[in-house]
Amino acid sequence: MATHTAPASEADVGAARHLQLDDRIWLLRAMLMMRGIEARAMNLYRQGKVPGSFYDGFGQEAVSAGGAFAMAPEDRLCILHRDLAAHLIRGVDPARIIAQYLGRATGLTAGRDGNVHFGDRRLGCVGMVSMLPDMMLVATGMAMAFKLRDEPRCALAWFGDGSTSRGDFHEAMNWAGVQRLPVVFVLENNQYAYSTPLAKQFAVDPIQRAAAYGFVGVTVDGNDVEAMFEATRAARQRALAGEGPTLIEAMTMRMHGHAAHDDMKYVPTEQVEEWRKRDPIERQETRLRSVGVDVDALRAAVQAEIDAATEVALAAPMPDPATAVDGVFCEGEAEPLGDGQAPWSGFASPRADA
Amino acid sequence: MATMTYLQAISAALREELRADPRVLMMGEDIGDFGGAFKVTDGFIEEFGADRVMDTPLAESGIIGTAIGAAVVGMRPVCEMQFSDFIACGFDQLVNVAGKMHYRQGLAVPITIRLPSGGGFSGGPFHSQNPEAWFMQSPGIKVLAPSTAHDAKGLMHAAIHDPNPVCFMEHKHLYRRIKGDVPEGIFETPMTARIARPGSDLVVIAYGAMVHVALEATADLDGASVEVLDLRSLVPLDRAAILDSVARCSKVVILDEANMTCAAGAQVAALIAEYGFEDLDGPVVRIATPDVPIPFSPPLEQATLPSVERVREGCRELLDY
Amino acid sequence: MSSSTTETLVDVTMPQMGVSVAEGTLVQWRKQVGEPVQAQETICEISTDKIDTEVPAPASGVLAEILVGVESTVDVGTVLARIATETSGNLGTESASESAAGLAGAPAARQAGTPAAGPQASNGAGGYPSAPARGHSPVVRRIAAQHEIDLSQVTGTGRGGRIRKQDALALVESGEAAEPTGGQRPERPEPPLHSESPYRPEPPTAGGQSGPLSRMRRQIGEHMKRSLDTAAHCTTWIEVDMSRVEAARAPLGVTALAFVARATIAALREHRPVNAWLEGERYTRHDAVNLGIAVSLGEDGLIVPVLHDAHELSVEGIAVRIKDLAGRARARELTAEEVRGATFTITNPGQYGSIMATPIINQPQVAILDFEATVKRAVVVTDGEGNDAIAIRPITILGLSWDHRALDGGVAAQFLASVKRQLETNHR
Repeated sequence: MATHTAPASEADVGAARHLQLDDRIWLLRAMLMMRGIEARAMNLYRQGKVPGSFYDGFGQEAVSAGGAFAMAPEDRLCILHRDLAAHLIRGVDPARIIAQYLGRATGLTAGRDGNVHFGDRRLGCVGMVSMLPDMMLVATGMAMAFKLRDEPRCALAWFGDGSTSRGDFHEAMNWAGVQRLPVVFVLENNQYAYSTPLAKQFAVDPIQRAAAYGFVGVTVDGNDVEAMFEATRAARQRALAGEGPTLIEAMTMRMHGHAAHDDMKYVPTEQVEEWRKRDPIERQETRLRSVGVDVDALRAAVQAEIDAATEVALAAPMPDPATAVDGVFCEGEAEPLGDGQAPWSGFASPRADA
Repeated sequence: MATMTYLQAISAALREELRADPRVLMMGEDIGDFGGAFKVTDGFIEEFGADRVMDTPLAESGIIGTAIGAAVVGMRPVCEMQFSDFIACGFDQLVNVAGKMHYRQGLAVPITIRLPSGGGFSGGPFHSQNPEAWFMQSPGIKVLAPSTAHDAKGLMHAAIHDPNPVCFMEHKHLYRRIKGDVPEGIFETPMTARIARPGSDLVVIAYGAMVHVALEATADLDGASVEVLDLRSLVPLDRAAILDSVARCSKVVILDEANMTCAAGAQVAALIAEYGFEDLDGPVVRIATPDVPIPFSPPLEQATLPSVERVREGCRELLDY
Repeated sequence: MSSSTTETLVDVTMPQMGVSVAEGTLVQWRKQVGEPVQAQETICEISTDKIDTEVPAPASGVLAEILVGVESTVDVGTVLARIATETSGNLGTESASESAAGLAGAPAARQAGTPAAGPQASNGAGGYPSAPARGHSPVVRRIAAQHEIDLSQVTGTGRGGRIRKQDALALVESGEAAEPTGGQRPERPEPPLHSESPYRPEPPTAGGQSGPLSRMRRQIGEHMKRSLDTAAHCTTWIEVDMSRVEAARAPLGVTALAFVARATIAALREHRPVNAWLEGERYTRHDAVNLGIAVSLGEDGLIVPVLHDAHELSVEGIAVRIKDLAGRARARELTAEEVRGATFTITNPGQYGSIMATPIINQPQVAILDFEATVKRAVVVTDGEGNDAIAIRPITILGLSWDHRALDGGVAAQFLASVKRQLETNHR
């Protein structure tokens, strides 16, 4: 199946124009945090401290880091299970993420839902459900509200290759296209839906579906965090200019099994090896070392933060069983989602958005 | 105060909400230019514009999913499923995204879903359902079923003001067949039961169109004093009112237009058997549509939906017990 | 399918396993002649061009004859065997037409014996069984117990001669039954409702037991102490003639507390300043009345479940709600929602004989009403012409503790006067 990757030079030029050094470090930091937290959680899982199942996004960190970095505080995100970096960029506390995996009372859902099924509503993140890609419609609805109220904001949803086979993908694409909504759809094409390869999922190159629904489709190297940022930034610009949705196909590879219980024997070893050479973190580290950044110090700092967060999470209590039936209904006022953090320097200086 | 039909009462409520609250947004198929399959939103688009009376694509999952998205960024969407039967196409979004959201994330989803339901006019299996029990069983969703024009308006206001997902069962049979006095201006009917007729020998518990069948069937029944309790709200269910009626009447007939198995009445029966046992002077009787898709041809349809005669007979038998 | 009452033979035929298949081969018989067979149970195995499969029996009965032997190949539709069924209608297999025939008639009743599979709304013939073998219905038993009726002496007018509720009540009304004991339903003995005073630790005496307070007691204690420290407590009392309440409550079968609650609610709607919260500097008057009723949990302590939107309830409705909440409180089944949001509290210790108390306000409310025993007293009554006389009346003293930071004595007195007026003249 042919894939169309944006020429490397275009992405680099775009990124270079919009990213300061601090931004590029931020991107690496977010990816390191994601990988580090997930590695720690995987260990805890193997020690029997994480109930249920555990999912990670090893090898895909750039897709969520780059994408989320282009989102403004007032934008809204529907984050999926291999997109931990998005939560970190919005400002979610790592200790609460680890507590969430452990099922503690201080976790982001206080034990009501597990693993990556969370979203801090005060930071503008909506947590996912297991039925994929339901959240594409939620993001479409948020974008619909922004357009109705004439607000310069957009919504973004991540979803995987497998989920594009379900009806909600088509309803969301169609709806967003018909109403020309300010929404960014990020298709994380990581080559496998559990054990199902792409050949069993699509009859066409999925990027073609954007045109079928009446809007722009862009394929990007999903393991190049700066290219991912640039593509998302451009898509956001398009959305705010009233040009409607963008489908970004981020090409990447799922380097671990579907979940901690899956050994992914169905993936050919050559394929894994091929993609290992394109690891997103290594690539960004190489870039930053070449401009003199002390990557090792950054790694150490990130690890120390994760260690501290783990201590806090392990000390947190389990939820009180008496609260199990509380909170099914909202009893007071409905509070909408809040704004999240947006560390990109471009949001501070007006000219960078041009 | 004005006399209006059940349908007019719903329209009036929607109009007043659209005027009073800029966050309210109506979404549905054919509701804008066409004014809705039943004309509930006739004339709305002229007053409120296409943005607020939105003609959506034919996509029930899409309607509910996007409504959820709009709601969590501050809107108050009121979605319409053209027929309640089509909620099946949006079931996943309603039950898994909307219903569970607040429990999991503390994020409220203030959407209202209007569901024209019920049979009696040869609509056939896909235009005649009463699917409320599916949503009574799904945590996080409120379910309302008014039987009068007054309550249709008051409960619609209450539904829109509520910060939770609310299924509003509008009974199609009642749209133009019943009228009542309805206050103008925004008011809320509480989500409780209402005694449609007080009595002491037996109580018929019903909701929606069945309230009227119950009233007619028991208006003149061998001189017996038959109470009719209109549940009005299925989630939350007014347990106190149910048990209060049972305490006074001791004989209960529960009426569902929905299919018998696990209908709302089954939950009411269980409640009574457990908490009202000491007050019972006879078995808890249920009358409902059998577990069949609602048939199309009139003799078949009449044979399935609970009729006035069937309810009379059932009450008479229990009175004699 | 026949529905006669004699034996019927049902054919088992060679199925068509695919549009293009014309014949099949009998591979094995799972049942022998004379063996009983259940509908849907595998009766034989066949092999065709498309698929090898099992054939389920179309009816329940006994395998009467086998017509095709093993390894024989026959055309689709050939009769392979016959099952003898003894049927008078439903025997395991429900056909839609049979169920439909049962629909248009009698209402949903229970049939002894036959479990109905498939769609059901009414189970056809037969109503209820006659009077249950083990005795009378719950409500009849209750009435009999309350009024000491010997049910064997009562003529029943119900189905099969069973005693109905109205038969028992008729005996009561005819005056032949005993006076009701207590006027309430006999059930688990209820500990009365009473208010708690702050716990004062006693030094342990020789031979006594000492230990730490339970968590609940400590929390109650802290709440009470904090309330005393926060609010400027005053208490005002008023006497109320409960004659009308006593007369009205018996036929309804409710306690006086339900009437006091109703009167209080009406008075709170009239005197909004009393239906309020004072939190620090913030004073909030409420329109809705969420009424807290203090419930004793025995030695464990006290809890205050809340009747939300109590202003919408009648006296009977209040009584039912109080009973429900109190029962669940003692069973520790209250939800968090049910102990929150009270705008006013009533405490009622029950009929021990105590006549007055100084209750402690339930923060952040601004007042609490105490309802003690009702005692017969000699009182002065004035007739229409202004003549005084002594009469005997059931009197209770209602005490209102109130927060002088939010209210004044005049408001408290007027509030109590409204409650008194409601009870003495309008008890609904």
